[in-house]
Amino acid sequence: MKLLGRDIPARELIARIEERLRLRGLPTSEAAEVPEEGVEPRVDPLSFNLQALEEHTDPAQPLPLHTHRGGVGQLVVVAKWAFRKTCQVLINETLARQRVFNGHVRDSYAQLSAEVIRLRREVEELKAAAKTPAAPPAEPPVVPVRPRRPRAR
Amino acid sequence: MAVHQLIPSFVAGDATGQAALHLQLLLRRMGHAAELYAGEVGSGLESLAHPVSALRPTPDDWVFYHHGIASSLSGLLMHLPCRRGLVFHNISPARFYTGTPLAEALTSGRAQLAAMAPFVELALGVSDFNSAELRAAGYRNVHTVPLFIEPERFALSAADPTQLRRLEGPIPTVVSVSRVAPHKRFEDLLALHAELVRLRPEARLLLVGGYEPGSRYFKSLRRTAQSLPGVHFLGRLSHSELVAAYRSAQVFVSMSEHEGFGVPLIEAMAAELPVLAFGAAAVPETLGGTGIAFDQKHFSFLAELVVEVTGNVDLRRRLLQGQARRLAHFSAENSQRALAKALGEATAPRPPARRPSRKPKRPRVGIVVQRYGQVTGGAERHAQQLAEHLAPHFELTVLTTCAKNHLSWENVFPPGLDREDGLPVLRFPVTRTRNIRPFNALSNTVFNRPNDRLREEHWVAEQGPLCPGLLTHLETERDSYDGFIFFTYLYAPTVWGLPMVADRAVLVPTAHDEPPIRFGVYADVFERPRALMCNTPEEITLIQRFYPKHARTRVVGVGVDRPKASPQRFREKYSVHSPYLLYVGRLEPGKGIPELLDHHRALRERYTDAPVLVLAGEAHMDLKGEGVRYVGRIDEQDKHDALAGALAVVVPSRFESLSLLTLEAFAQSTPVLVNGHSEVLVGQVERSGAGRAYQDLESFITGLREVGSERAALGKKGLAYAKKYSWPKVVASYQEELARITEEKRR
Repeated sequence: MKLLGRDIPARELIARIEERLRLRGLPTSEAAEVPEEGVEPRVDPLSFNLQALEEHTDPAQPLPLHTHRGGVGQLVVVAKWAFRKTCQVLINETLARQRVFNGHVRDSYAQLSAEVIRLRREVEELKAAAKTPAAPPAEPPVVPVRPRRPRAR
Repeated sequence: MAVHQLIPSFVAGDATGQAALHLQLLLRRMGHAAELYAGEVGSGLESLAHPVSALRPTPDDWVFYHHGIASSLSGLLMHLPCRRGLVFHNISPARFYTGTPLAEALTSGRAQLAAMAPFVELALGVSDFNSAELRAAGYRNVHTVPLFIEPERFALSAADPTQLRRLEGPIPTVVSVSRVAPHKRFEDLLALHAELVRLRPEARLLLVGGYEPGSRYFKSLRRTAQSLPGVHFLGRLSHSELVAAYRSAQVFVSMSEHEGFGVPLIEAMAAELPVLAFGAAAVPETLGGTGIAFDQKHFSFLAELVVEVTGNVDLRRRLLQGQARRLAHFSAENSQRALAKALGEATAPRPPARRPSRKPKRPRVGIVVQRYGQVTGGAERHAQQLAEHLAPHFELTVLTTCAKNHLSWENVFPPGLDREDGLPVLRFPVTRTRNIRPFNALSNTVFNRPNDRLREEHWVAEQGPLCPGLLTHLETERDSYDGFIFFTYLYAPTVWGLPMVADRAVLVPTAHDEPPIRFGVYADVFERPRALMCNTPEEITLIQRFYPKHARTRVVGVGVDRPKASPQRFREKYSVHSPYLLYVGRLEPGKGIPELLDHHRALRERYTDAPVLVLAGEAHMDLKGEGVRYVGRIDEQDKHDALAGALAVVVPSRFESLSLLTLEAFAQSTPVLVNGHSEVLVGQVERSGAGRAYQDLESFITGLREVGSERAALGKKGLAYAKKYSWPKVVASYQEELARITEEKRR
């Protein structure tokens, strides 16, 4: 256990508290779950969006049942569940065209994002090529001197 | 350039909205026109934030988008044709919400964060931790601009007394403040409390923050809490209730495992509460070595620590002293410095426009006033008279609105350049009319109680007049003016416009003791201008009472003209043939007219020879009554004629910073009968000896009798007093102050 604070006698405070814990017959240290440190990693938007589109292409698939309300909210959850159970055929029928449309959106996004990735790579390659120093101009080829033809008199 | 802000949701009690308001304050202090635009504007807050559809930035403008959880505004930002900035408030890690609908919105928010990176010119993290996340997400130009706090809003005096009484209880009481969400680890707070009640069975745990009663997480917390004594879920509280909760506890504890900043940590510091916090994410940075950060959730140990911090006086004192020092880091000044650096500007005024370095013959001065021209109103008339007398000495431009009516602010005058009595008047349209009934209802909810900045700013916005064109003019043309004279502290153009040009502004506050003068949002108005041109010593005392750090003050007042007057002319023109009491001005409840009518009615009931009550001016109320003569708006000559012939002039308003009417009555040798609840009016009557003050019906009758019997003697004293108010003296004071500003500017 570490206590951080400029205004406290940390060592003395820890010792005093641990002594009290010992007197109470309690362990002075416990295994603790240490959360992950550091900043959150970057989420690549192109692949995330593609995956999210893929996951949600079929609008007839239900989202997890959820309510933020107490009391009546629970009844609403039950009603939603009952609706889904009994009306899935109707839901599928109603949203059939939406499913097809979403599929096209997903496929278009997949194609466009792949194109963006390819173009980015090309831009990077061109930038890198532009940065590398240009090769010195090649030596001009040695042209053999042709013997002069004697002038006619 | 304007610096606007874009936020997904602007609703009461939202931390991002509060941060946006704070940033807006700093931007205005830096001279920028700064409006808020929101995807969702909370009901009733339309006067403070515009809908996103109204956002029309120019290529030079900045738009800063406040990013958190996924929002469609991120896509909008990438396509805005202007300079784009981002303020990052962090996003809770999705791992805490696996299996809930929120998880995807959180990850999506992070994907949007990365997607915006190539399109954003400047990214602001509210902590170094957030800035590090911005860099990890691909941002290049990243600056840390910490949030700031207004400590006075967490003083004991800002606590709701009812809530304080309700939360009174045994020691130790631990408080924790945040919305009830899994990563805030409320279960750990309950575990700590379970250990604490073993040591101190009377211990209490106050949990402040919104929760979803139907969520599994909250239900599991509730179940655990039911087995423990002294746990109180207080839910979402108003600002004053929140302060009461802080002030009812002895220790603040945070078990949160992810904080991008941790606003409650510094709120607790401001409420003089020792802070114990799990050192996750930005928490150690926010604590800055003060309070106590711990790295393990060893609950029996932490319970002992709570007891120690509660009972060990020396330790507690050291903690509070350290926290007080740390709090200074989260000041508006520090945040402004960081913001100015980020925007690539110095906090000092911008370089002056191309103007000759020699002393200009006639400095250019802007007079900013809410209405101007053919309007009724004490402050407006004051501004008009001053403008007329300053005109020979300065190159004046009056900057005002198109409104004529101060209740509705409806645009009546055409926008653009106008001329009034030879003076250039630049009018800007008001963008929102006012409906006085809802406004009065709002006033009742905010007056005479502590509020957060949002509620006060909201009141100012509803008060109006909202005139963004005027603010833009101040931003873009400020360097073409040598100085500004702002009129009345109360209205939005002063509250928001004065800080933009404070280094070259003087204010004529016309302050009087009314509820809004206690609002913290007015601090800039009284503290930042170069000088406060007050009307009376009482006004200075009043300002000193509420704003001890106010700008330099001086009593300037106005000059009083003494045109020749003929009482007979008035009597004949308006057929008033008996003795009369006179009031001239706005006829509305705020001016004490209903009370005056009541007193007059009672007077007529008791005395058959009671004088007639003559009322002149713009009426905003019913004026019926026996012996009451309403003569409508009258011109200047009629007014002086009426003043000269009156038995006495009545000034029934409780709220006066200087009664021009009183001085004009004195100038015509007429005594006054004034409302004794106004310190300013009482002061004027005492200093002049030319009238009486009343506080109720009896003193009204007594005062009237005395004034009537000694009219000539009192009138003489009044005339002598009025002679002291001369325009040359007033003009000299303004010349002196404005010369000081131009001199410093040249230097």
